[in-house]
Amino acid sequence: MQARVLVMLALRNLRRHLRRTVLTAAAMIAGAVVMVFSFTLDDGSHEQWIDSAVRMGSGHVTVERPEYRVSRRIDDRLPDGVRRAAEQALQSPELALRIAAQSAKLGVTGLASSAAGSRPAQIVAVDPVAEADFGTIDDQVVEGRYLEADDELVACVGVGLAGSLDLELGSRFVVQAQDAEREIAGQLFRVVGIFRSGLPAIDQMMIHVPLATTGEWLGSASDVTNVGVVLEDSAATTQVVEQLERALAEPVARGEARVMGWRESDPTLAAAIAIDALGNYIIQGFLLVIIAFGIVNTVLMSVMHRHREFGVLRALGLSPGQTGIIVLLEGLALALASGLVGVGLGILIMWYFLSDGLDLTAVMEGAEDLTFGGVQVDPVIVPIFGAWRMVQITTFIVGIGCAAAIYPALRAMRIDMTEAMKFDR
Amino acid sequence: MTGGPWWRIGWRNLGRNRKRTILTALGLAVGYIAVVFMVGWAEGITVELIENATSLVSGQIEIHDADYRPERSLYDTIGGREGTDVQALLREITVDASVVVAAPRAYAGGLVSSGEATSAGSLMGIDPEREVVLTRFLDPLAAGRLPTAGANELVVGEEMAQQLAVGVGDELVVVASGADGSLANDLYTVAGIYRTGLVEFDASTAVMPITDLQTLVVLDPGRIHEIAVATTDPSAAGETADRLAAALGATDRGIAVAPWPELNPVLAEYVALADSLYWIFIVVIFTIASFGIANTMLMATFERRREFAVMLALGSSPGSIVGSVLYEALAIGFVSLALGAVVTTPLMIWFYTAPPSLEWLYGNVTLQGALLTPTLRVGVNVTAWTWATIGLMLTALVAAFYPAVRAARVPPADTLSGL
Repeated sequence: MQARVLVMLALRNLRRHLRRTVLTAAAMIAGAVVMVFSFTLDDGSHEQWIDSAVRMGSGHVTVERPEYRVSRRIDDRLPDGVRRAAEQALQSPELALRIAAQSAKLGVTGLASSAAGSRPAQIVAVDPVAEADFGTIDDQVVEGRYLEADDELVACVGVGLAGSLDLELGSRFVVQAQDAEREIAGQLFRVVGIFRSGLPAIDQMMIHVPLATTGEWLGSASDVTNVGVVLEDSAATTQVVEQLERALAEPVARGEARVMGWRESDPTLAAAIAIDALGNYIIQGFLLVIIAFGIVNTVLMSVMHRHREFGVLRALGLSPGQTGIIVLLEGLALALASGLVGVGLGILIMWYFLSDGLDLTAVMEGAEDLTFGGVQVDPVIVPIFGAWRMVQITTFIVGIGCAAAIYPALRAMRIDMTEAMKFDR
Repeated sequence: MTGGPWWRIGWRNLGRNRKRTILTALGLAVGYIAVVFMVGWAEGITVELIENATSLVSGQIEIHDADYRPERSLYDTIGGREGTDVQALLREITVDASVVVAAPRAYAGGLVSSGEATSAGSLMGIDPEREVVLTRFLDPLAAGRLPTAGANELVVGEEMAQQLAVGVGDELVVVASGADGSLANDLYTVAGIYRTGLVEFDASTAVMPITDLQTLVVLDPGRIHEIAVATTDPSAAGETADRLAAALGATDRGIAVAPWPELNPVLAEYVALADSLYWIFIVVIFTIASFGIANTMLMATFERRREFAVMLALGSSPGSIVGSVLYEALAIGFVSLALGAVVTTPLMIWFYTAPPSLEWLYGNVTLQGALLTPTLRVGVNVTAWTWATIGLMLTALVAAFYPAVRAARVPPADTLSGL
């Protein structure tokens, strides 16, 4: 009953100075809208970066020999038994649900040569069908076609490498690499496709070839250097890593396999995302502080103006604590309402205008090929509305509202009853 | 009468409720600090990116044969198949006052093998003495020393050294196809190991003296692929490149002089893009801050209804009341600016001269192939900071406009009798 009175007193006061309340709320609502805007776009772009990086690389989760990450040698390929165990584990019902695509590849470095010269190259041997599903290169072929199921002795090369070696569709070129016997082995390939990923490092170095061909050329049979999976949702990475580690506990203990999430296999990307997020948090932090000063001011003023009222309340038997609570409740109610309205409004605006993505093509004129942390920055950012994010934003706003009301509440507690009730204020 | 008593009235009103004034000014000041800091940080990132893109491995200006880019063929040496008088060309370039140093380079592709492991690599031929003045990646080295010409020595990247499992003093076999079509190979000693932080580069590039590379791939001493140039001011690289091209008679000789924005156009675009982002910061931050001012001024004027009524009754024009309130807002603006400047100046000087590292928080990042080390380094952008100052004053004025107009509309008789 008493609590109800306190709440009523707090709410009544917000209603009494509607303009002041609305202006303070407007600052908080605007803040919440800005936060929804920037956090959803940030989350969206990070998810895009992750997706394009893992599809170009070794997946959200990869199983490989511990030495392979550094050595990139064919010697450090995945033992056949481990590969089969990994693939079997991935077929278990609980994991299969989370997996969007899966591809086992053999990646080695080699020297690609044509009459025009020679260039270092990253040779990625793939199962064409699995890789078309897993990677993005098949969608980025600008000339010719991607590898197909029964292809042999053909290659799909990056546009930069094709330029350097003066390769066209149908051209032949030689790739030399170390084979399973540690000898240098050469192999002639015919170009069936040229792709353009937009990433200079990839376009200038990568060659996709069928796994069947490398098996004979390098004497590695059907061995691969890693088994990678793309997940439906990158948030499940840690869980999948743990499940796979349990399933492969033995080979992991023997040092024959290592299960890595994308943060571990692509630290540059993880750092890029962390830096971008830090920048965003700093801006939001500043915004919150600015908003906080506005709230402190408003609530403090409303306390000063109600000197007499608080005096009367105290005379009627309210404790100093209860007067303080009224002020805190005022801040809380204002912040909660503004936070909810702001987040709601933010989501509405984002959904209405930007559910198809914020198209920055016009702004990024000329910088369409911008790459950051080893991924190409997509000019169309599709926002992601994470429930947890929305709760977080509301919490920020409510938190700042309550924190800002603390000082005014302390002031209200210290009001001298007799002074406050004098007629001339 | 320049503003007359209205400025004094406005200023004096700030003192009536000091706490409120300080809180309002603080709100604005934090906005100002935020803009100055964010702009400075973004500018610092831009400056570092340009620096790293133009002095870590690449030059600010690069001179090639007109046909060299983008294929970068082994045969397209400066001056065509006959080559050129390299020393004379270098002298011609260094005559230009803004050129600090020019260094010749040659490139080839090859296989680098330690016997155990083989890796494909780019071979880069350099003039060690000139190169260390031009770029930073060989000085300091992560281990060992620079290679000596004629001694079959080379330096490799840290990643490559790991992949090949070699250290300083170990031997490597380099296999490369020569310009005469032969398959050349030779034995080299690892003199040193460098580290740029650009993983792809460190994993694939072996560096040796230019004469050794020319011997290996059978190029005459006059045949080089590139002259990299460092200038006194990277932002003026475009003009310097134009001047060099004219001085060298570039078009007649079939050579191309390219400044870094042409070599890395996307990075140049990013720099322009970052500039437009500053505007978004300024607008968003001050919009939010303006609510605080509007609110305070509204309260402050509402409290003084009686005072405004008296002023109006004594014959003040509504315009001068608006003026006094706007002056009050302007005065708050000045107080905020002073607060903001007091906080930002030392911080900015600190972050500029000795930026705290964020490396404990994050690893290196690459943007458009340029390395970015995580620090709180800030750069100078006077234009954006001036706009932040103007923005602060404008925010104060615009936010106070409605309260000012309301104050001028106070009905004198009703207010004086009714209250």
